[in-house]
Amino acid sequence: MDEVLIAIAVVLVAAAATAAVFHRDPLRQSMVLSLLGLFLALLYTFVQAPDVALSQLAVGSAVTPLMILLTVRKVKRGPRSGSEDR
Amino acid sequence: MNGWLLAAAVLLVAGLAPVLWTMAVGEPRTRLVAQNLSTVLACPVFLLAAQGFGRPSYTDLALVLAMLGPAGTLVYARFLGVLPRSRVVLGTAWTVVPATVLPLCVVAGPGRAMAKLLVIGVLVVAGNTVTSAGTDRHG
Repeated sequence: MDEVLIAIAVVLVAAAATAAVFHRDPLRQSMVLSLLGLFLALLYTFVQAPDVALSQLAVGSAVTPLMILLTVRKVKRGPRSGSEDR
Repeated sequence: MNGWLLAAAVLLVAGLAPVLWTMAVGEPRTRLVAQNLSTVLACPVFLLAAQGFGRPSYTDLALVLAMLGPAGTLVYARFLGVLPRSRVVLGTAWTVVPATVLPLCVVAGPGRAMAKLLVIGVLVVAGNTVTSAGTDRHG
Protein backbone atom coordinates (compact mmCIF):
# COMPACT_ATOMS: atom_id res chain seq x y z
CA MET A 1 0.00 0.00 0.00
CA ASP A 2 2.88 2.36 0.77
CA GLU A 3 4.27 1.80 -2.71
CA VAL A 4 0.95 2.77 -4.30
CA LEU A 5 0.83 6.02 -2.32
CA ILE A 6 4.45 6.82 -3.17
CA ALA A 7 3.80 6.08 -6.86
CA ILE A 8 0.76 8.38 -6.94
CA ALA A 9 2.71 11.15 -5.20
CA VAL A 10 5.66 10.78 -7.59
CA VAL A 11 3.35 11.02 -10.62
CA LEU A 12 1.66 14.13 -9.17
CA VAL A 13 5.04 15.74 -8.42
CA ALA A 14 6.28 15.03 -11.96
CA ALA A 15 3.08 16.42 -13.51
CA ALA A 16 3.14 19.56 -11.35
CA ALA A 17 6.84 20.16 -12.09
CA THR A 18 6.21 19.79 -15.84
CA ALA A 19 3.28 22.22 -15.64
CA ALA A 20 5.42 24.72 -13.70
CA VAL A 21 8.16 24.54 -16.35
CA PHE A 22 5.74 25.14 -19.24
CA HIS A 23 4.17 28.27 -17.75
CA ARG A 24 5.67 31.59 -18.82
CA ASP A 25 3.78 34.05 -16.63
CA PRO A 26 5.61 34.25 -13.26
CA LEU A 27 2.36 34.77 -11.34
CA ARG A 28 0.74 31.60 -12.66
CA GLN A 29 4.05 29.79 -12.38
CA SER A 30 4.27 30.62 -8.68
CA MET A 31 0.79 29.16 -8.11
CA VAL A 32 1.76 25.91 -9.81
CA LEU A 33 4.99 26.03 -7.80
CA SER A 34 3.08 26.17 -4.51
CA LEU A 35 1.04 23.16 -5.61
CA LEU A 36 4.30 21.39 -6.45
CA GLY A 37 5.53 22.19 -2.94
CA LEU A 38 2.39 20.66 -1.47
CA PHE A 39 2.84 17.47 -3.52
CA LEU A 40 6.50 17.28 -2.48
CA ALA A 41 5.45 17.54 1.18
CA LEU A 42 3.00 14.68 0.64
CA LEU A 43 5.72 12.60 -1.03
CA TYR A 44 8.15 13.25 1.85
CA THR A 45 5.46 12.15 4.31
CA PHE A 46 4.82 8.93 2.41
CA VAL A 47 8.53 8.05 2.45
CA GLN A 48 8.55 8.60 6.24
CA ALA A 49 10.39 11.92 6.30
CA PRO A 50 7.95 14.20 8.17
CA ASP A 51 10.65 16.64 9.26
CA VAL A 52 11.55 17.43 5.66
CA ALA A 53 7.85 17.62 4.81
CA LEU A 54 7.30 20.09 7.65
CA SER A 55 9.97 22.50 6.41
CA GLN A 56 8.78 22.05 2.81
CA LEU A 57 5.23 22.96 3.87
CA ALA A 58 6.35 26.01 5.82
CA VAL A 59 8.53 27.31 2.99
CA GLY A 60 6.49 26.18 0.01
CA SER A 61 2.97 27.17 0.94
CA ALA A 62 3.43 30.74 2.14
CA VAL A 63 7.00 32.08 2.01
CA THR A 64 8.04 31.19 -1.56
CA PRO A 65 4.82 32.56 -3.16
CA LEU A 66 5.10 35.73 -1.10
CA MET A 67 8.72 36.32 -2.17
CA ILE A 68 7.99 35.59 -5.85
CA LEU A 69 4.94 37.85 -5.88
CA LEU A 70 6.81 40.68 -4.13
CA THR A 71 9.61 40.35 -6.70
CA VAL A 72 7.14 40.35 -9.61
CA ARG A 73 5.48 43.49 -8.28
CA LYS A 74 8.81 45.22 -7.77
CA VAL A 75 9.96 44.35 -11.30
CA LYS A 76 6.67 45.38 -12.92
CA ARG A 77 6.75 48.73 -11.16
CA GLY A 78 9.79 49.54 -13.28
CA PRO A 79 13.20 51.09 -12.66
CA ARG A 80 11.66 54.44 -11.70
CA SER A 81 11.34 53.57 -8.01
CA GLY A 82 14.82 52.07 -7.73
CA SER A 83 17.87 54.33 -7.39
CA GLU A 84 20.05 52.47 -9.92
CA ASP A 85 19.14 51.31 -13.44
CA ARG A 86 18.27 47.68 -14.14
CA MET B 1 -3.72 -3.43 3.19
CA ASN B 2 -4.69 -0.44 5.25
CA GLY B 3 -8.05 1.31 4.94
CA TRP B 4 -6.70 4.69 6.05
CA LEU B 5 -3.97 4.70 3.41
CA LEU B 6 -6.49 3.53 0.82
CA ALA B 7 -8.72 6.51 1.69
CA ALA B 8 -5.67 8.79 1.38
CA ALA B 9 -4.88 7.33 -2.06
CA VAL B 10 -8.48 7.83 -3.20
CA LEU B 11 -8.36 11.44 -2.00
CA LEU B 12 -5.09 11.98 -3.89
CA VAL B 13 -6.36 10.58 -7.18
CA ALA B 14 -9.95 11.85 -7.06
CA GLY B 15 -9.22 15.16 -5.34
CA LEU B 16 -5.73 16.50 -5.96
CA ALA B 17 -5.24 15.26 -9.53
CA PRO B 18 -8.22 17.31 -10.87
CA VAL B 19 -6.94 20.26 -8.82
CA LEU B 20 -3.58 19.96 -10.60
CA TRP B 21 -5.34 19.85 -13.99
CA THR B 22 -7.39 22.94 -13.15
CA MET B 23 -4.26 24.71 -11.95
CA ALA B 24 -2.47 23.87 -15.21
CA VAL B 25 -5.12 25.05 -17.68
CA GLY B 26 -7.50 27.35 -15.78
CA GLU B 27 -7.78 31.14 -15.76
CA PRO B 28 -6.41 33.10 -12.77
CA ARG B 29 -9.68 33.14 -10.76
CA THR B 30 -10.12 29.40 -11.19
CA ARG B 31 -6.49 28.86 -10.25
CA LEU B 32 -6.96 30.71 -6.98
CA VAL B 33 -9.92 28.44 -6.17
CA ALA B 34 -7.77 25.42 -7.10
CA GLN B 35 -4.95 26.64 -4.85
CA ASN B 36 -7.43 27.01 -1.99
CA LEU B 37 -8.94 23.59 -2.68
CA SER B 38 -5.51 21.92 -2.75
CA THR B 39 -4.82 22.88 0.87
CA VAL B 40 -8.31 21.76 1.96
CA LEU B 41 -7.76 18.35 0.35
CA ALA B 42 -4.15 17.90 1.49
CA CYS B 43 -4.99 18.32 5.19
CA PRO B 44 -7.21 15.19 5.36
CA VAL B 45 -4.55 13.29 3.38
CA PHE B 46 -1.94 14.14 6.03
CA LEU B 47 -4.33 13.10 8.82
CA LEU B 48 -5.17 9.81 7.09
CA ALA B 49 -1.48 9.12 6.46
CA ALA B 50 -0.71 9.74 10.15
CA GLN B 51 -3.35 7.21 11.17
CA GLY B 52 -2.41 4.75 8.39
CA PHE B 53 1.29 4.72 9.28
CA GLY B 54 0.48 4.54 13.01
CA ARG B 55 2.46 7.71 13.73
CA PRO B 56 0.28 10.23 15.61
CA SER B 57 3.04 12.86 15.47
CA TYR B 58 2.50 13.18 11.69
CA THR B 59 -0.67 15.15 12.47
CA ASP B 60 1.61 18.17 13.06
CA LEU B 61 1.90 18.43 9.28
CA ALA B 62 -1.85 18.85 8.97
CA LEU B 63 -1.78 21.44 11.76
CA VAL B 64 0.88 23.50 9.99
CA LEU B 65 -0.97 23.25 6.69
CA ALA B 66 -4.26 24.21 8.34
CA MET B 67 -2.65 27.45 9.50
CA LEU B 68 -0.52 28.25 6.44
CA GLY B 69 -2.93 27.16 3.69
CA PRO B 70 -5.47 29.96 4.08
CA ALA B 71 -2.56 32.40 4.62
CA GLY B 72 -1.08 31.39 1.25
CA THR B 73 -4.46 31.79 -0.42
CA LEU B 74 -4.80 35.29 1.06
CA VAL B 75 -1.29 36.18 -0.22
CA TYR B 76 -2.40 35.32 -3.77
CA ALA B 77 -5.73 37.08 -3.28
CA ARG B 78 -3.88 40.21 -2.18
CA PHE B 79 -1.75 40.27 -5.33
CA LEU B 80 -4.45 39.22 -7.80
CA GLY B 81 -6.79 41.77 -6.22
CA VAL B 82 -9.66 39.28 -6.10
CA LEU B 83 -10.83 36.56 -3.75
CA PRO B 84 -13.46 34.57 -5.63
CA ARG B 85 -16.50 33.19 -3.85
CA SER B 86 -16.35 29.41 -4.13
CA ARG B 87 -19.05 26.92 -3.26
CA VAL B 88 -16.70 24.04 -4.16
CA VAL B 89 -14.15 24.96 -1.49
CA LEU B 90 -16.86 25.63 1.09
CA GLY B 91 -18.65 22.36 0.32
CA THR B 92 -15.40 20.37 0.39
CA ALA B 93 -14.30 21.93 3.67
CA TRP B 94 -17.64 21.15 5.31
CA THR B 95 -17.92 17.57 4.00
CA VAL B 96 -14.48 16.00 3.44
CA VAL B 97 -12.86 17.43 6.58
CA PRO B 98 -15.57 16.28 9.07
CA ALA B 99 -15.84 12.96 7.21
CA THR B 100 -12.11 12.47 7.86
CA VAL B 101 -11.76 13.97 11.33
CA LEU B 102 -14.77 12.30 12.99
CA PRO B 103 -13.73 8.67 12.26
CA LEU B 104 -10.18 9.52 13.33
CA CYS B 105 -11.55 10.95 16.60
CA VAL B 106 -13.57 7.78 17.17
CA VAL B 107 -10.43 5.67 16.67
CA ALA B 108 -8.24 7.97 18.80
CA GLY B 109 -10.68 7.96 21.71
CA PRO B 110 -10.95 10.75 24.27
CA GLY B 111 -7.72 12.50 25.13
CA ARG B 112 -5.09 14.86 23.78
CA ALA B 113 -4.94 13.23 20.35
CA MET B 114 -8.66 13.74 19.87
CA ALA B 115 -8.44 17.36 20.99
CA LYS B 116 -5.62 17.96 18.51
CA LEU B 117 -7.62 16.40 15.69
CA LEU B 118 -10.64 18.56 16.54
CA VAL B 119 -8.47 21.70 16.64
CA ILE B 120 -7.04 20.86 13.20
CA GLY B 121 -10.51 20.21 11.78
CA VAL B 122 -11.92 23.45 13.18
CA LEU B 123 -8.90 25.41 11.87
CA VAL B 124 -9.28 24.00 8.34
CA VAL B 125 -13.02 24.56 8.20
CA ALA B 126 -12.84 28.05 9.73
CA GLY B 127 -9.89 29.18 7.59
CA ASN B 128 -11.46 28.01 4.37
CA THR B 129 -14.88 29.37 5.27
CA VAL B 130 -13.12 32.74 5.37
CA THR B 131 -11.17 32.28 2.13
CA SER B 132 -14.16 30.92 0.19
CA ALA B 133 -16.54 33.67 1.31
CA GLY B 134 -15.25 35.92 -1.43
CA THR B 135 -14.74 39.65 -1.70
CA ASP B 136 -14.57 41.10 -5.17
CA ARG B 137 -13.08 44.31 -3.82
CA HIS B 138 -9.38 45.03 -3.95
CA GLY B 139 -7.65 43.73 -0.86
